[in-house]
Amino acid sequence: MINIKNLSFSYSNKPPYILNNINLTIPDGAYLSIVGENGSCKTTLIKLILGILKPNLGSIEINSNKIGYVPQRLDSFNSQFPITVKEVLSCHKKSLKNKDINILEMLKIVNMQEYKNQLLGMLSGGQQQRVLIARALMGNPDIIILDEPSTGVDEVNQKEIYSILKRLNKENKKTIISIEHNINIALENSTHILRIDNGKLKLFTVDEYKKFRNNNLDLDNVI
Amino acid sequence: MFQLDFMQNAFIAGLIISILCPFIGLFLVLRRYSTIGDTLSHSSFAGVAIGLVIGINPILSAFLFTTICAIIIEFLRGYYKKYAELVMSIVLTLSLGIAILLISSGKASTKVNSYLFGSILTVSSEDIKLILIVGLISLFVLIFLYNKLLYITFDEEGAKTTNINVRLINYVFTILVGATISMSIRVMGLLVISSIMIVPVATAMQLKKGFKSTLIYSILFGMIDILLGLSLSYYIDSAPGGTIAITSIITLCMVIIINKFLNK
Repeated sequence: MINIKNLSFSYSNKPPYILNNINLTIPDGAYLSIVGENGSCKTTLIKLILGILKPNLGSIEINSNKIGYVPQRLDSFNSQFPITVKEVLSCHKKSLKNKDINILEMLKIVNMQEYKNQLLGMLSGGQQQRVLIARALMGNPDIIILDEPSTGVDEVNQKEIYSILKRLNKENKKTIISIEHNINIALENSTHILRIDNGKLKLFTVDEYKKFRNNNLDLDNVI
Repeated sequence: MFQLDFMQNAFIAGLIISILCPFIGLFLVLRRYSTIGDTLSHSSFAGVAIGLVIGINPILSAFLFTTICAIIIEFLRGYYKKYAELVMSIVLTLSLGIAILLISSGKASTKVNSYLFGSILTVSSEDIKLILIVGLISLFVLIFLYNKLLYITFDEEGAKTTNINVRLINYVFTILVGATISMSIRVMGLLVISSIMIVPVATAMQLKKGFKSTLIYSILFGMIDILLGLSLSYYIDSAPGGTIAITSIITLCMVIIINKFLNK
């Protein structure tokens, strides 16, 4: 479970806060999609949960210290960056200091074992995302956080990625937290939707969110 | 050529530089920090001028002053996050200002050319000791930090999630860049020092291999460029820095041509 209490944050470490007095509980085993306009602090929120950023006020309690992270498309995803799929995973394995992790097994989960010696930059956007999902699964995390996993990914690979995520959520009981720019993908795959508008948050179940959307409400009406 | 003491010294120094410079250079290129090489080589030059004026070993003073400049760069980078190149210009201005001020005072003008263009003749056994000590320590630190540096280079935010102290590693790395440049300036000369950090890496990247292979090829090309350049500069009586720089560009061109031919 992730429990966010009275959290406020600004990049300047002082008011006005871009996230102001946030309270949120994300249940274990949820598949949570975070949706909202560009610049609505979705990425800031996940960076706070990941510990990359520190809250100015309030706290974030997580009942697991094992979190896997799949970032947005990286600058290093270009064909001239000299790193193989195996090197990406081996680098993460060494930083986790866990010798028991089998890189090939991780790649099998995302069906990328045949590409282990390929340069990451030579793969398609979807294949690159699958490699990063394999990296996020190393160390058997309880929570996996993804930042727009479908950006720059073709439809076939999108389906593959979401089927992997759903399987991890349903069969392996992983909590998935994913920033989504496509609300239909979010509704199709998630158990919960977190809507962020101008620093205000509201957590919905998928059914609740469909009602909210059909009634054309804004967050001020439901908070 | 190898019976001569000064050539032995130059080759020992060259060998260390040919391993360290491309090693550091690969991380610089991939992190798009290439210009830091130029900036810190000018800081090194200011350090040399300080050493010549106050009468201490110029390589030592270059190392100390370049380290201070490296720390300033890392510190200021936080203030100009999106415009980090500005920090390079600020430190370059400071370094050039100090260097010009001291050299124009007339107290440091002797031997200045050898630091600008590099020199084989003037590498003393004391210089070799310093280059060996600083070089081996730098190499040891680089090997120790290799995995963390690779992670930060590939995915800085991802590295933060695995509890890698990115800020500390960045400071240590920038100091390593400064240390490498200040010990290389004697042989290479400040005007072309950054080329031996960058060109062998550019050559190795043409081969489109993984990270470890690219690193090994970068070092290999660095060795070819430096050792061949040093030998040529002995026979044609030229400054080693320029000869090594030209050799590295010829190697790059040859690899591009061979690569194109093989990939047809």
